[in-house]
Amino acid sequence: MSLYAVTLLEGAVTLALAMSGLALFLAFFRLVRGPSLPDRVVALDLIGVIAVGVIAAYDILTEQPVLLDAATVVALVAFLGTVAFAHYVERRKQDE
Amino acid sequence: MNDIASALLIVVGGAFMLLAGVGVVRMPDLFMRMQAATKAATLGAGCMLLAVAVHFGELTVVTRALLVTAFVFLTAPVAAHMIARAAYSVGTPLWEGTIADELRDRRQALGEEGDAP
Amino acid sequence: MTTFLWNLLLALAWTVSTGLFTVANLLVGLVLGYFILLFAQRALGPSAYFAKVPLVGRFALFYLGQLILANLRVAYDVLTPKHHMRPGVIAVPLEARTDAEITLLANLITLTPGSLSLDLSGDRRVLYVHAMYIDGGDVDAARRQIKEGLERRVLEVLR
Repeated sequence: MSLYAVTLLEGAVTLALAMSGLALFLAFFRLVRGPSLPDRVVALDLIGVIAVGVIAAYDILTEQPVLLDAATVVALVAFLGTVAFAHYVERRKQDE
Repeated sequence: MNDIASALLIVVGGAFMLLAGVGVVRMPDLFMRMQAATKAATLGAGCMLLAVAVHFGELTVVTRALLVTAFVFLTAPVAAHMIARAAYSVGTPLWEGTIADELRDRRQALGEEGDAP
Repeated sequence: MTTFLWNLLLALAWTVSTGLFTVANLLVGLVLGYFILLFAQRALGPSAYFAKVPLVGRFALFYLGQLILANLRVAYDVLTPKHHMRPGVIAVPLEARTDAEITLLANLITLTPGSLSLDLSGDRRVLYVHAMYIDGGDVDAARRQIKEGLERRVLEVLR
């Protein structure tokens, strides 16, 4: 077997990583573009969820199940961030 | 066998991610962006985590993968609901093709009676 | 509920006694335990658990089907240049009363692509849902679809 032989699973993971990377880029585009604050919050939340998926895919590629802990933390932080931002958006409206 | 299953799951997950990314850029208003983005991405992350579970197959890894999956599936709708409610109350405009808004009708009716919802 | 814990305990006992700590083996243990408890019902007394398990299974299948269908529909709209959706915010009168029922229903609605629960009225009788596909502009039909499709089944499982 040559050094560059790629198994089915490795190919699949690479493809998935490429698609997730493109999705990350698109989400980032929405984050920069806006136009409103809630739009940016949605984009940020999306980036968090995609990051969880990317970590899971990378897990398989490197054969390191420990990375799942990182995925847990990212999911947690993304959720808390989204809730905090949503709260902030609502508060800002009340203060006006 | 396991390899084929997890390869399939991970490609499906990646496709969902891409769908979410395209959706969040292409949809015309905030609520539809959320429809396209949050759910597709949640399902995508779920598929990928399941692929991890299938690939490793040990009880310690599988329980953790299922835990993260359960966490993502529990928190995603809550987060989506919070953003949507906040955005609606700030007055984020709906797409011009929107055919009904019964919440606005209700709030207007309440507003005319002079007591806030 | 207790019956479920017994089932879990039996499954754990099965994995320990076979010494094979894999998920597949745990599932085998769960199925075996279910049937053991089903046959032991005469000795232990009747339990609602045996009626609930098929209900939950049927609901899971139904929901999975809905999820795939809705996803394909949204995917089609995202990927083709023309927008086919007819979105709107509709009011769905609720039969669900307790916190658990309303929370589960709202979360399940949000998790299905094409519908998103926005707000609950102050008296907790009406749920406002942003739906992406109101076929033919028929708001009542969309309302009925949520009520009779999802809400009825959720209540069936929980009550």
